Amino acid sequence: MKKKVISIVAAALLALPMLAHAAPIKIGFINSITGKEAQIGENLTNGAAMAIEDLKAKGIQVELIKEDDGGDPKNALAAYEKLVTRDGVIGVVGPYTSGSANVVASRADQYQVPLLVPAAAKEDITMKGYKNVFRLNAPANVYSSVLMKAVASYKPKTIAYVYAATDFGVSTVKTAQENAAKMGLMEVANEKYQQGQPDYRPSLAKVKAANPDLIFLVSYDADAILLMRQAKEISLTPKAFLGAGAGYTTAQFAQQTEISNLVVSATQWTDDVNWPGAADFARRYNAKYAKEPSYHAACAYEAMRIMVETASKSNTAAKLRAGLKAGSWNGILGPVKFADYNGFTNQNNHPMLVQQIINGKYETVYPAQFSKQKLVYPYTR
Amino acid sequence: MFFLQSLLSGILTGGVYALAGIGMSLVFGVMNISNFAHGDLMMLGMYLAYFSFTLLHIDPYLSLLLIIPTAFLFGCIIEKVFIHRIINHPHQNQILLTIGLGLIMSNSALLCFTSDPKILTTSYSSSAVHIFGGISLSVPLIVSFLITCGITGILYVFLSKTTTGLALWATSQNREAAQLMGINVAKMSAIAFGLGTALAATAGALIAPTYYIHPMAGHTFLLKAFTICVLGGLGSVIGAGVGGVIIGVVESMSSTYLSSDWKDVVVFIIFLAVLLLRPQGLFGKKGEQ
Repeated sequence: MKKKVISIVAAALLALPMLAHAAPIKIGFINSITGKEAQIGENLTNGAAMAIEDLKAKGIQVELIKEDDGGDPKNALAAYEKLVTRDGVIGVVGPYTSGSANVVASRADQYQVPLLVPAAAKEDITMKGYKNVFRLNAPANVYSSVLMKAVASYKPKTIAYVYAATDFGVSTVKTAQENAAKMGLMEVANEKYQQGQPDYRPSLAKVKAANPDLIFLVSYDADAILLMRQAKEISLTPKAFLGAGAGYTTAQFAQQTEISNLVVSATQWTDDVNWPGAADFARRYNAKYAKEPSYHAACAYEAMRIMVETASKSNTAAKLRAGLKAGSWNGILGPVKFADYNGFTNQNNHPMLVQQIINGKYETVYPAQFSKQKLVYPYTR
Repeated sequence: MFFLQSLLSGILTGGVYALAGIGMSLVFGVMNISNFAHGDLMMLGMYLAYFSFTLLHIDPYLSLLLIIPTAFLFGCIIEKVFIHRIINHPHQNQILLTIGLGLIMSNSALLCFTSDPKILTTSYSSSAVHIFGGISLSVPLIVSFLITCGITGILYVFLSKTTTGLALWATSQNREAAQLMGINVAKMSAIAFGLGTALAATAGALIAPTYYIHPMAGHTFLLKAFTICVLGGLGSVIGAGVGGVIIGVVESMSSTYLSSDWKDVVVFIIFLAVLLLRPQGLFGKKGEQ
């Protein structure tokens, strides 16, 4: 009898690792749930939540551990370290902001746990050769290059920059300057500002005096509305407003028709492109959250889907890394492949889109194969 | 043209800063407390203006008639429940209490109103009057400035002409002596905190049509209000008014002639210079404490 009990216990102990194996895989998600970028963070939260629901419907179970970095790189790093050391996740999606993502990326190789960045744009993140850092969205240089390509045929001559003094703002403008130099555009004003100030009029007045053909703007959420309001106040009228940053691609911005009309912006995603499931995602998102999905939501959805699907086939971080490196996907963000090119490592060569707000609605205007509308140029009030 | 444009727009923006500074200075003057919840009280004023506009369809400037008494009452309650308990405690306890109250307010706002910035769009939100030489001035800012001037004037008359005002003045000069003269200093503290809160909420409501409304929006203005108070002299109402306009103009000028990235640097260099050369502030009497 005693022997029988011992053998049952021994068999149970042997079976334990099998049980552990059957438990859902653990994935971390670092996002800006609070702080300055919380509004955009919410879009990422929603997108990721929809991905998890869709995966559950397909029978893929996952335990998602969410962390908030408040938009602060040191919190993001602490969150990543907690996720990999204490929670034992095998992969992490996030963080949202460039500042946070850049810092976390620098430690990913140390902990050997793959990081999939859904929407941060600073180039450096995938330029340092980190083996464990993957990025889904196009980096900052594409924001400016695609915007400038869209207006190149109209032969603008001068450009002014107005941008937030953040990692994303500075790196986007740096590459914009390189792209502008290639196009022979002359820089006539360069105004970097601190976010969240009530008065940008002095900077905008300087830009107005320089009379540029193009004004290249990088701003996060509400600052974009504030800047455009004050631009209207002082009757700043260039031939085109090019909004590279997140703030020019939100539904809230588009709704301010008095100031948003004809503003051109670069985006990672729109709902009218012919990528598989894009329109359906927009419809379902709208039904669930009662608002239009921003590109952040789409990026977070796709990043989460790719991460979990790949992780479900691999039970270790090393296998997950190999799976991400080798795999290719085709979903709401079009074809995805983490490739090494032009100094980037594990970077998805994502084609960005150019959209223009026409009467409160975003219309894709470039590249031609994705667009139904033609760009309205020059800008008029 | 640049000079005039940035001078005028600096003065107009400074007017709203001044109102925030005056409220904080008044509380410090009468109660000897640095109210670090001041920015969050401003934020509540912004939300009050926003909701009276969106839900009750009252113009943000008209809604002041509702906001001022509501905020005054709210301030009195906060003083009665929390602040008066620590009035004779060391400064660090007072600072911790007011910071704590501020955090509760901003995070409650985050829970109730979410982190989505709210935009108050009125028909005149981005309208401007164009005057000589191509200078344009924001209509909502001009209105805000005029209201600020009006409120400051009324406050000045109240403090210097009415019995309650003079009692407040006396309490701010010497709390113990005022008490010995038969002034109910506890009541004066409640009135001062109520007034401070009403001024903060008014400043919030005035800036709402030209700014965005966010649970953390108060933090931007708290630092400004505090700088203004110290610059003008803690406890000096006139000092805070002048300090606000100075900060507005300095920010605007440094954005024009240096870079908007540098404006905080310039503001704080001036701030440090004032602290070094005139520690009591420009109009201060209490700063030496």
